[in-house]
Formats: sequence, structure tokens, C-alpha cells
Amino acid sequence: MKIWGTGILNGFVITMRNWMRGPMTVQYPEQRLPLPERARWTVTPKYNEDGMPKCTACMICEKECPDHVLRLEVSKNEDGSKHIDTYVYEVGACMMCGLCTAACPFDAIYMSHEYELATADPADLSRVLLQDVDAYVKPKPQKEEQDA
Amino acid sequence: MSAADIGRVAIRIAAMIGLLLVNGVVLIYMLRKVLGRLHLRIGPNRVGPLGLLQTTADVVKLLTKEDLMPDSADKALFWIAPFVVFVPSFMAYIPLAFGPNLAVTNLDTGLLLLLSALSLIPIGVVMAGWASNSKWSLVGGMRAAGQQIAYEVPLLLAVLGPVMMAGSMNLTTIVEAQKNLWFVFPQFIAFVIYIIAAQADTQQTPFDMSEAESELITGFANEYGGMRFGFLFLAEFSNMFIVSALGVTLFFGGWYLPFLAENPVALSLAPLIFMIKTYIGIFVMMWARGSLPRIRVDQLLAFAWKALIPISLSWVVIWACIQRLVIVR
Repeated sequence: MKIWGTGILNGFVITMRNWMRGPMTVQYPEQRLPLPERARWTVTPKYNEDGMPKCTACMICEKECPDHVLRLEVSKNEDGSKHIDTYVYEVGACMMCGLCTAACPFDAIYMSHEYELATADPADLSRVLLQDVDAYVKPKPQKEEQDA
Repeated sequence: MSAADIGRVAIRIAAMIGLLLVNGVVLIYMLRKVLGRLHLRIGPNRVGPLGLLQTTADVVKLLTKEDLMPDSADKALFWIAPFVVFVPSFMAYIPLAFGPNLAVTNLDTGLLLLLSALSLIPIGVVMAGWASNSKWSLVGGMRAAGQQIAYEVPLLLAVLGPVMMAGSMNLTTIVEAQKNLWFVFPQFIAFVIYIIAAQADTQQTPFDMSEAESELITGFANEYGGMRFGFLFLAEFSNMFIVSALGVTLFFGGWYLPFLAENPVALSLAPLIFMIKTYIGIFVMMWARGSLPRIRVDQLLAFAWKALIPISLSWVVIWACIQRLVIVR
């Protein structure tokens, strides 16, 4: 049976429980909450141990991106390997869906945890991720060594 | 009247103004902190340590703001309305007894003066609403009038119980009658009616129909800015204090502590005890404000006329019979 007025008392109980629990908010610039591991923010390239980017300039991320915020400009070296002229990323238009990282077959990009993206300069909204570097070429397994 | 008398009166009035202003500043800070905590927030925290200077900063802002008046407003009424709201709320401090000998004047009809001063406030509110020449303000003012007329009746009837028990309308006498037994125990029903009616009479949420932030955008205070708005705001907080102090006086034994009524130390701390009790009452009002949603106008009025007034009237009759037949033989 529902007794008249219990809803009102229940409201008081809920707010008093909140009072006992204490504030949930943190003083943001001084205190920060840890981001969950799966948080997706800016697209960032990954690097090998030797400091070279893992990107092979396959262009799949550029094709996959629904917002067209990634742009790769690729040229050919004399030996036929790929050379990345620029890899531009429009942060301002990115919706952080993470489809590019999911599509990347070489695990060369990831969604970083950099979330303080506000800026006073619109030029900051367009980032150059890679510039003037050779694309990664996966070393072919050497059959001679195996034979020997 | 000698010069010494005039001086004494002047000091008392100055103390009253000081209490009113400081109390307003403290209560605004307290309200924001309490509401914040009830909603799992921190509340003001940037200006000064723990945000303590936030209200001071707000007051400075209000004082330095330009005094705007809407072009189509009724100039005289618009100008005078904040004072008509503020002065009665200031008057209501006169009979409040903070200690055995601590009141501005020890009036035999103190309760009557206090309640009649409180019932003047809606006139100012309606004036503010009408003079602003804005439909939101007008609706707010009209609601305030309807609500206060409706809730004044149960408020007065609820007060009758303690008055019958103490046999006086002098607030000091009423407190002294509670030396051994706080009136909240025999008069529990009257107390419940009193807190509901007081909450409505001071237009606190869940009965803040005249303000109704989300529908009327501060209602009658809509067109006011600067210190004029400050006056309306201050009156609201001062009413909260008065209603809480009156509740403490009528039901919670004023400056008496339970079982320590004769203790000289407790008596010497009388004003402090009274203030602490009053602030606990204010906390409960803020707690209600943070817990309950605003109810509809028709529900509000129906509740007053169909529930509160019949209950309080019958309680007056029942208590009169008990008093006559059982207690005073």
C-alpha cells in the first residue's frame, strides 16, 4: 500500500544521502579524474623503436574517415618505396569515432588521451601529424637465412 | 523621550540592520553551499578560501550596477516596490526575542506585529509585478498575492496552538512557557502545518510560484537590476530567517536547551543557542528546497484551501477543547 507523503520523505532521504556522500565534482584544472582506457581523443601516429613512424602510407585511414579529416600526400622515392610528404589531421572537424584506427592494418595510429583541445588560434585546429618521412616498409623475411 | 532613550533605540535599530544585512550575506553563501552539497556539487569555491568571499563579490557587483528602469514601467510604483517588500521584512525583526532580555522591543502583541508585517510583503510583490509592465512579472506578482492570502490563514491558525498554551502573544512569554516542555511535542500537528505554511508564505521552493525560475524567470523581480534587485533578494532571505526564528520561538523553546533550562551557562549563551536553532531551521528549509520539485499553482491553492485550512481549523478547535477540559480544569 502506498502511503500519502512517502514520496516527499523519500526525496528528503535521497538528498540527505547525497549530502553524506559528499561532492562528486573535482576542481578541474587542479584536479583531474583518470580517463578510462577506452577514451578516444586525437588521432596520433605510432612510432617504431628506431623512431620512425609505423605508417606505411596505405591511405586506408583517409578512405575510411567519414568526416574526411585525414589527408595524406604521398610521393614515390627513386627506389619505388613510398614517401610521406604530409599527413594532415583536422582536429576541429574530427568526431573522434576511431574508425581510422580500427581500419589501420598496420597499427600505425591510435586515439590518444589528449583531451584539452580548446585553442584561441584556428590554425591549431589543423595538425601536421607526419611530414617528409619515408613510409615504413615491412622487412621481407630473408629466405637465405632460413635455409642456412 | 530623553537623549539616552533615543540613543538606545538608535543602537537597537542599527543592530537590527546589521543582523539583517550580515544574515542575508551569510544565508546566500549557505544556500549555495547547502544546495551544492545536496546535489553532489561543491558550490562556490573560487573567490576567497572555500568561496567565502563570493557573496561579498556579488554584493559589490549589485551595488555598482547601473540602476535601470524599463521605459514603459510605472515609474513611481517601480521605484517604491522594493522598499515596500523590504521594510515589512525589516519590521518583523522588532519583536523577535533573542534572549531573556534581548529584543528590540518587548511587545505584548509581538506575534501579531510580526505576522502582520509579514502579510504586508505581497503588496510590495504585486506592486513590483504590476509596475514592471511585463507579463512574466505580473503573473509572478499575482501568484504571490494568491498564494500568500491562501497560506496566511493556516499560518495564523497554526500559531494559535502555542499562543493558547502560553496564554500570551508576547514572544518572550511564549518562550518562557516552554521551560519544561517544548511546544512541538503537544502541538506537533500545528508545527507541521506551520512549516508548510511558512515555506509557502516566504515563497520558498517547493512553493516558489511567484519566482518560478523555469517558467517565469524570477517572476516579479524580472525587470529589476542592481541594488533594487538586491533589496528584493535580501528581503527573501530575511523572511526565511524570520520564519525560522518564529518557528524556534513558538515550537522549539527559543533560547532554552532541553533539560538545561535553568543552567546559568546555558542562559548566558541564550542568543547563541537561539541563532543555532534558527540556522538549523533554515537548513531544513534549504534541504526542502534542494529536495522537492515545484508544485503547480492549482495544486498549491487547492492544498491550502482544501487540506491545510480545514486541518488547522479543526486542530484549533480540538486543542481548545483539550486545553479547556483536560489541562485547565
